[in-house]
Amino acid sequence: MATLNLQHIDKIYDNNVQAVYDFNLDVKDGELIVLVGPSGCGKSTTLRMVAGLEDISNGKLLLDGKDITAAPAKDRDMAMVFQNYALYGHMTIYENMAFSLTLRKEDPNVIHKKVLAAAEILDLTTQLNKKPSQLSGGQRQRVAMGRAIVRNPQVFLFDEPLSNLDAKLRSATRREILLLHKRLQATILYVTHDQTEALTLADRIVCMSMGHVQQVGTPLELYDSPNNLFVASFIGLPPMNMFTVRFENGELQGKGFTVGLTDEQKSVLAAYNHKEITLGVRPEDIAEGGNMIIRVSTNENLGMNTLVHGNLGNENRITAKLRGWASYKLGDEVAVHFTKMHFFDPETTNAIRKEGK
Amino acid sequence: MSEDRYTVLDRMRFTKNTTSSRLAILAIVFDVLFFISIYKSDVDTYYYTIIIGASIIYNLVFLLAAFLSSEGVKNYNTTYSWVLVILGIIQIARIFIIPMDAHRTIIADSPVMGNAQFVRTIIYLVASAVCLFASAVINWNKSRALKSHVASLEAKKA
Repeated sequence: MATLNLQHIDKIYDNNVQAVYDFNLDVKDGELIVLVGPSGCGKSTTLRMVAGLEDISNGKLLLDGKDITAAPAKDRDMAMVFQNYALYGHMTIYENMAFSLTLRKEDPNVIHKKVLAAAEILDLTTQLNKKPSQLSGGQRQRVAMGRAIVRNPQVFLFDEPLSNLDAKLRSATRREILLLHKRLQATILYVTHDQTEALTLADRIVCMSMGHVQQVGTPLELYDSPNNLFVASFIGLPPMNMFTVRFENGELQGKGFTVGLTDEQKSVLAAYNHKEITLGVRPEDIAEGGNMIIRVSTNENLGMNTLVHGNLGNENRITAKLRGWASYKLGDEVAVHFTKMHFFDPETTNAIRKEGK
Repeated sequence: MSEDRYTVLDRMRFTKNTTSSRLAILAIVFDVLFFISIYKSDVDTYYYTIIIGASIIYNLVFLLAAFLSSEGVKNYNTTYSWVLVILGIIQIARIFIIPMDAHRTIIADSPVMGNAQFVRTIIYLVASAVCLFASAVINWNKSRALKSHVASLEAKKA
């Protein structure tokens, strides 16, 4: 396996549209990095540049310290797994997995051993004589992974590999990818638009928007300390509630509600006295009891939690994830308080934090 | 059994018998060459026309049977080895029909089929037959080896 360094990488297409701006990332040996962001944010373009399927307009790409910016895809020793599997329909699973090695004219006996080993890892041993059309979506994706594994590449690249699967299969295949990573200790670059995948799989997440990297960090860092409004609203399901509030006299005043602050929070917001800020509260950081009232519009029971949608104060839409099974009706009032809050500067959209944090 | 030999056998569980299949296809190619080359004689006789007609029909049967066999042997099916052997024997027998008769038939002081053409057509038929026999034998041996390998794997599992 290997380290990967992306240094000041830009992607500018021929029509002068810039898809990626100054992308910097150091991927450690054996690390699983997830690039996450909405459609069109440049994450797949970045992956394709790493794979050699797109030219890098500016910047450098280093694999184990060696500059491979201009190297053709075939010489990069990376294996890519695509969303649509890209399997050959007329070949059996065995032939699909062996194909890249056959093209490299490797010894058939060596190919056989590699394919069987990969099939064993992916639990595909009994499927080797079947055609891709005879397999389920999850099995096909495992074949695509097997085809990557047999090559024993330095870096694995996954481009939204679970997007074609239904929810149940996605969750199962996600666990398989995680086990595979633990077993192979491979360096993996994984692209997804699904933040659940990002949070569950990644050693570190790169959150992107409009071609810019918004934040790089561990899943907990992105969830707990988002750098800006975009990351705060993108990471987490249901998304974070955002309110425009005013910091006055040591408390936050919103439309129809007031939130008291701790001394530490007051010191964080000291520079924003008498100014508007954006208050972010995750639905799971809202608990029953307190002086704020949610007027319920809908109630979704998830089993051990209940999602309560409604209005806080006059016109603030809010979603709260309350523990237990609740059966609120339209118009019910629920008293709540916030257990954790995030503050953002409305102009820069950056998080407001204590200096040095 | 050496590790390499074991791997070769085990590989057959997942790979096609392309050697036999390609030999059967090669037999078809030689048959086509034979069939094309017998038209070169422009001596037109009643006798010759009838045999050519039968030969055309047999060629259609041969092409179909040889092609089906080439697909059958891909999957180590021993039944097709017998079909290939029969086709091979018929190819040899065909030497004694059109080439031989045409070579022996004299019209206007010269044979319907000259020496060079006669030798060429025999070579094509023999080559076609050899390919068919080789394909059949290779398929037979491989199929037996694969069968016993799979049986030993199943015995190990049990």
